[in-house]
Amino acid sequence: MDNIYSIYKPVRMVMLFNLLAFILIFFYEGNYDYSTLLWGLGIIMLIYLVYTLIRWKSWGDEYLFLIASMLVSIGLVMIYRLNPEIGQKQIIWFLGGTCLFFFIYLVFNAVPVWSSKRLYYVYPLLSFVLFSLTLFFGRRIGGAINWISIAGITIQPWEIIKLLFVFFSASYYKHRDSLKSLNFTVRGHDIQVKSIYIYGILSYMHMGFLILQREWGGALLFFSIYFTLLYIFESNVKFMLANVILAALGGLSGILFLSHIQTRIDIWLDPWADISGKGYQITQSLFAIGSGGFFGTGIGLGRPELIPAVHTDFIFSAICEEMGIFGGAGVILLYFLMVYRGIKISLKIEDVFYKALALGITVMVGFQTFIIIGGVIKMIPLTGITLPFISYGGSSLISSFIALGVLQAISSGKSFHMEDNHERK
Amino acid sequence: MKENKKALRVLAIVCMLFLSLIGYLTYFEIFLKESVVANSYNKRQWEYSNNKLRGSIYDRDGETLAYSEGEGTDQVRIYPHNGLYSHVIGYHSIIYGNSFLESVYQKELSGNTHLGNILDIKNKLTGEDGFGNNLHLTIDHELQRKALDLLKGRNGAIVAVNPKTGEILAMAGNPIFNPNESDLVENWSIMLESQDSPFISRSLQGLYAPGSTFKLVTAAAALENGYENYTFEDSGSVVIDGMTIRNSGSRSYGALDLTRAFSLSSNVYFATLGVELGESIMKSGAENFGLNKNLPFNLSVRQSTFPYKKMAQTELAASAIGQGQILVTPIQMAMAASAIANDGVMMEPYLVSNITDINRNILFSATPKKYGTSVSIQTAEKLTDMMVEAVNSGTGKNAKISGVLTAGKTGTAQNEKSSAEGGNEHAWFVGFAPADDPQIAVAVILEYSGSSGGSAAAPIAKGVMEAWLK
Repeated sequence: MDNIYSIYKPVRMVMLFNLLAFILIFFYEGNYDYSTLLWGLGIIMLIYLVYTLIRWKSWGDEYLFLIASMLVSIGLVMIYRLNPEIGQKQIIWFLGGTCLFFFIYLVFNAVPVWSSKRLYYVYPLLSFVLFSLTLFFGRRIGGAINWISIAGITIQPWEIIKLLFVFFSASYYKHRDSLKSLNFTVRGHDIQVKSIYIYGILSYMHMGFLILQREWGGALLFFSIYFTLLYIFESNVKFMLANVILAALGGLSGILFLSHIQTRIDIWLDPWADISGKGYQITQSLFAIGSGGFFGTGIGLGRPELIPAVHTDFIFSAICEEMGIFGGAGVILLYFLMVYRGIKISLKIEDVFYKALALGITVMVGFQTFIIIGGVIKMIPLTGITLPFISYGGSSLISSFIALGVLQAISSGKSFHMEDNHERK
Repeated sequence: MKENKKALRVLAIVCMLFLSLIGYLTYFEIFLKESVVANSYNKRQWEYSNNKLRGSIYDRDGETLAYSEGEGTDQVRIYPHNGLYSHVIGYHSIIYGNSFLESVYQKELSGNTHLGNILDIKNKLTGEDGFGNNLHLTIDHELQRKALDLLKGRNGAIVAVNPKTGEILAMAGNPIFNPNESDLVENWSIMLESQDSPFISRSLQGLYAPGSTFKLVTAAAALENGYENYTFEDSGSVVIDGMTIRNSGSRSYGALDLTRAFSLSSNVYFATLGVELGESIMKSGAENFGLNKNLPFNLSVRQSTFPYKKMAQTELAASAIGQGQILVTPIQMAMAASAIANDGVMMEPYLVSNITDINRNILFSATPKKYGTSVSIQTAEKLTDMMVEAVNSGTGKNAKISGVLTAGKTGTAQNEKSSAEGGNEHAWFVGFAPADDPQIAVAVILEYSGSSGGSAAAPIAKGVMEAWLK
């Protein structure tokens, strides 16, 4: 396998995939636009460069970036084939994301302040400021108020808040024993609110904001991250049960009283009843997946552009149509590999902050993938969130790469060197 | 370490979730997809077999309401009047498909029709191939614009018909949506989830309690069955089988005959009349005006219903004044008014008068068709007189057009959002003009407006009729 001529080295597979795909697009387009080849070459070089750098400097786990770049490549090929113009934009976002990946990697390792107790309240504060900004200045795109526009660029703050929330949670588990509980007196009775309740309330506030923005998928994602970390790090079974009951009640009242959620469940149960209206998107997605069969129509030969929002939320259906169910399963397995690497990294860490951070980021990617793929194939009700690394969009790609940068930094072990790094190879 | 053990369990759970995704995909592929991909909404099946330029849509005077630009699959559908025809023409979109006329006349507009086949060969020889056919509507663009303007953005519907032919002259309603592709893409999901349901045509699909406008039907049934001279001492309210029925504002009108009771819209009089008429007369009276039947039309219309199987006295009383479980569409009420205007004969409503090819050869031409007889000519005349009286001196004064004899009936319908003290009622007006030679019949409804039909809906109906008669 170490043979320098071997094609079977993973990075070369990724490069080969890009090479073949862009050559296909070049011919498919029919106008033989050489810039297509140049853009493709750009990606190949970018991936090779980054990978070599990671290996040469031994910057931690070498597979994380490879898996991510394969996912990005698959997304890019689809997006480029749907619309070269926004495909090129996405390539530039990819470049930006890679730069940010390095930047975050270096900064995260160079200034190991992230686990500091002082930041415990800063993370949620930042989140709430961002949430409030979104609610006040937000634009409603596609049913949810989740975009704000700064200097002509629209961003989705909750993509960043996701990460702040993971940092916040990790910080809680690190400092939970030394965190002060909130004490106050009401009519002579001393009331003590334990730190875990404060953490819980702050976490649910995050979800509350997302519900206000009608970002149902986001709220579900936050809860899965919150609960997974709770399960791993909290031994208080009563508190966990209380959370389960609370979530069940919250979900139930959402189903009973929020017409938007009812609508989504109705569509999920029977999209065919209102096929020209509310069921349109999901049925078009199913047509696309069904038309692809096991092996797909081939890149450029299907009609995925018939699905609304195909670049963003429904990119997986486009992949299934043109690359087949096998292609789709391949994508899912890539995400599984990424989750596997992430958990493997976390297992070796003693420090609770970094351990929780690695786990949080990993399950974030895993659950987000499940929520959106499950939605577009109609296995679970559809909530519009993006597919990490694959969907078109700066906010999504940037936040995915920031998360990856953090995970990469943790895997290198350099950031908690001072504290208790026993596991450095 | 305990935490690592749990982390591995989480890994196992994520693994199972992902496997379930793959499993479901495979299951879908093997067992479900057959029936899914054969659905007619899967455009991959009817992918443009030809690349003809889609036909245009015009109003009765040739005003362009919809046209296409571009070539082959790069065509763009343009609606110059934006949302004005959102519930008549609908949209034609590569992404979202077709709705309303764009959907019903997909074959004709796209040119894939047997209608033009013979001409097609000629066109192929002469090189004039490549165009879909055009639709010419009965709608009057000016009137349609006027109707929507009169609604002033309030939710509701207006249907205007030529009572002698059944031609729809205007059919407007709020909320509307902009059918141009870029607007659709931008607003699609908001509109889908909107509680206002902008994709639904209020005129055709909206079912509303008719309120006092239904007294037309009750009065017609009374006239046809020899209750013309029925009188009742109206003391402002009456108790029928334990249920109290009141007049609007509990006003008492004293001794009433049919004409005066109709003009003042006395609930007390009509409720007792309904009980007197009994179940079979009330039901057949309603069915004579098209309730419980599907109205034939170019677009799909929901059935207006008189849903009773066995009626109690209270139900008879409530239905006689248009409350209870009776639900009607605005177009049905417009057709009811037009039947009275047209000597008791209801015509079939229609929207598409002609279909032409690119060279304006007529491929199809609609002819007015009789739908049914609602009442006898004598009853129609008497009802007309009563409706004129209602506008001249009764509840419908705001619909009076100077110099034109106007006939009409107001309605203020309680509904599921109204409380006992009032509020949120639908404001109705149905009528026609001129009463001696009807040219236009209209139905107007403002949903949940909370104001009375006489104050809110009658002026709108007046505006529409006046605009048409000018």
